Amino acid sequence: MEMLGLSLALFGAALAAALAGIGSAIGIGVAGGAAAGVMTEDPNKFGSCLILQALPGTQGIYGLLIAFFVLNKLGLLGGAGAVALTWNQGLQIFASCLPIAVVGWYSAIWQGKTSAASIQMISKKPEAMGKAIILPAMVETYAVLALLTSILMLMGVQVG
Amino acid sequence: MGVAKLKKAELYYHKSVHEQIAAAIQETGACQIISTVEENQPRPSEVEALISCIEEKLADVRYLNRTLTPHYVDPIPALDRMLGERPEVTMTELEELANKTDLKKICDDTRAVERETADVRLKLSEAKLNYSILSSLEFFDYPLSIFNEGTRTLTALAGTIKPENLPGLKAALGDFSKFAQDTELIIAPYNEKEKPTEVCAVLFYSRSVEAEVRELCSKNGLSLIEIPASFSGTPAEEKEKLTAAITELEATEKLLAVKMADLANDNMLTVQKLSDYYNSLAGRYNGTAKSDETESTMLTKFWLPADRAEEIKSKIEAISPEIDLTLADPEPDEEPPSLLSNGSLVRPFNILTELYSSPRYRGIDPTPLLAPFFWIFFGMCLGDAGYALVVFGLILYVFKKYKKISVGVKEFIRLFLFCSVSTFIYGVISGSFFGNFIDSFVPILVPLKNSLMLVDPMTNPMQVLGISLLLGVIHLMFGLLVAAYEKIRNKEFIDAIGSNISWFLFIVGLCLFGVGLGGMLPPHFTQIGQFMAIIGAVIIFFYAGREKKGIINKIISGFLALYGSTSYLGDILSYSRLLALGFGSAVIGMVINLLGGLAANIPYIGWLIAIVVIIGGHLFSIAINILGSFVHPLRLQYVEFFGKFYSGGGEPFTPMTLSQEFVNVKA
Repeated sequence: MEMLGLSLALFGAALAAALAGIGSAIGIGVAGGAAAGVMTEDPNKFGSCLILQALPGTQGIYGLLIAFFVLNKLGLLGGAGAVALTWNQGLQIFASCLPIAVVGWYSAIWQGKTSAASIQMISKKPEAMGKAIILPAMVETYAVLALLTSILMLMGVQVG
Repeated sequence: MGVAKLKKAELYYHKSVHEQIAAAIQETGACQIISTVEENQPRPSEVEALISCIEEKLADVRYLNRTLTPHYVDPIPALDRMLGERPEVTMTELEELANKTDLKKICDDTRAVERETADVRLKLSEAKLNYSILSSLEFFDYPLSIFNEGTRTLTALAGTIKPENLPGLKAALGDFSKFAQDTELIIAPYNEKEKPTEVCAVLFYSRSVEAEVRELCSKNGLSLIEIPASFSGTPAEEKEKLTAAITELEATEKLLAVKMADLANDNMLTVQKLSDYYNSLAGRYNGTAKSDETESTMLTKFWLPADRAEEIKSKIEAISPEIDLTLADPEPDEEPPSLLSNGSLVRPFNILTELYSSPRYRGIDPTPLLAPFFWIFFGMCLGDAGYALVVFGLILYVFKKYKKISVGVKEFIRLFLFCSVSTFIYGVISGSFFGNFIDSFVPILVPLKNSLMLVDPMTNPMQVLGISLLLGVIHLMFGLLVAAYEKIRNKEFIDAIGSNISWFLFIVGLCLFGVGLGGMLPPHFTQIGQFMAIIGAVIIFFYAGREKKGIINKIISGFLALYGSTSYLGDILSYSRLLALGFGSAVIGMVINLLGGLAANIPYIGWLIAIVVIIGGHLFSIAINILGSFVHPLRLQYVEFFGKFYSGGGEPFTPMTLSQEFVNVKA
């Protein structure tokens, strides 16, 4: 039972990286489909399509970031060895991972859909690139807020 | 600063000089033609004739561009091309080139090769189809003439059939004695275990029973294979002949591809130059086609920037004495296009305003207002001194190497040059240099780094969060004041106080009150804050209900308006992204250094892997974080800041210019 805390914390880190990563993969996939469609008509739009396609990718990075944050806090990176953790502390870390895991997952999917729509938009109106970037960025706001929540929560949890 | 003053030019001239006039207007690159004709009014006949001649040439150029581009290897790398490294030509040179180039001949040559290629491809696909038919008939070692010519009494057919239908077919053929005598079925050998979906069969039959046999076959699921009449030998012989034919066709195809590539290499540069030339001409005359005409004169109207008006006027008047050009200020009921004109420090930020929507001609240009905020916000989001140095160095290198960058691209790059400075400053005061590179690998510099640090997001994030939100309040309140200023300028004093100043008082008051209560300001600030907030709230309350009838309605709408403060709360909290993104860059950098450090422990080649991980990782981090650091501060401008006072809606100034898609064209 003395490893339960560590396991819970790792479970949280895994969820943060995995769920947010899944969301980004889906989001980028959806946007990529739209981008490929637009590029069959006009291959010159590759640059702007790529930027729009990349937008839903940040959630995956945020998830990874939190996962590393947790691993670092647990002392699993580098040779120092894991810190001792009560199950209560483990659960706290697990909870801290949830905002970015869940919000990252969903927001990336919806951001991908918005990106896809924006890609359609620039296929008709290339001059509207500014607006096309802002619309998906509106969705990302909530992933950023969740990242912030996760970071602040993690910093608050005392271990070791 | 702000939106440039424009003048409206009315230009009367004799038709004989119309070509020179059109060229002169286009070459200034600073005149936007105003349409003076109705939608469906016929264009002046002189212009019409020119345009239809140009359109014909353009059609050829477009055809060549489309057909030859896939076969053309551009000797100029795409990046160089984007940064302006392209051939330079003048319009006079282009005109000479256009006169001596026989576009029709190039088109004819290209079309001939294109047609031949299509022809060869068709033949090739036919031959390949026949080859596959022959392959399936390999088991049948007789001359194939039997299928189409037959003998006097005997002929044959070939087909494919599903193995499960075979017994049915065999039974049907064996059913009548006359079939049994007059037919013979040969099935291609197949392996039962492989479960092929269909097998090939050949059926000999007497001509006398042709109709019945064909009907029987189609009933039992034998679908016929058409054997080409040209096949007379055995499948093996025919296959040999076909192989030779296919080899020859493929060789021809390759030869044609080389021919096409040669055509592309010989002509592409000319085609590109002519494309810019004819597109310039088309733009020029489509512009002047919007002119009004009498029998022998034309009237062209256009907008031009006031500061270049005199220079352009004298240039045009020099063309011929039979010209009358008057300049006038825009009438109050006219809505001229808007051209942003800002000093060199603000100019790179113009694009941010233009990406949203250009201001109205008589409106406020928000660019100088947003520029300092965007600069600071970008710096806080990227927030790494090392990344800033990389970006700064890269841009200086680009500017040194490429001297012909077009104005728009150059301004956009300069935006990042400016922002790398704020990034560097914030990186230094927050102690971030390639993440925690200093702490990880050069501990000797740690005291220096620490002595320069003013904030520490890693250990005290609440401090940076406070700064982010404070910047948010300043940004939003600034927006409210701009809105109030604009309303006062339009003499809407009540609205300015009711919907902008009141909120300003309320929110600033609340902030002072809150901060004062927290003990961070002397106590009398608390009282001032309280006083401001109450005054603001009272104004908001009464302003919202001013047009409502009845005391109840007034009270309800007053409270609803006060409830609107939640949207301000949302706006302010939105600035917490400044902390989060800065944090993101720092932590990603930290992770990369950590991975590099771990890799360094691998024996023998560890240092090499570490270098690759650290350099590659940080480059990736720079790219992904610049995207975020551009998009999020931009959103703060568009949604939070512009939401308070700016809606754009102006028509951007689009002067008639020379087309420069492929080459740099000089007048």
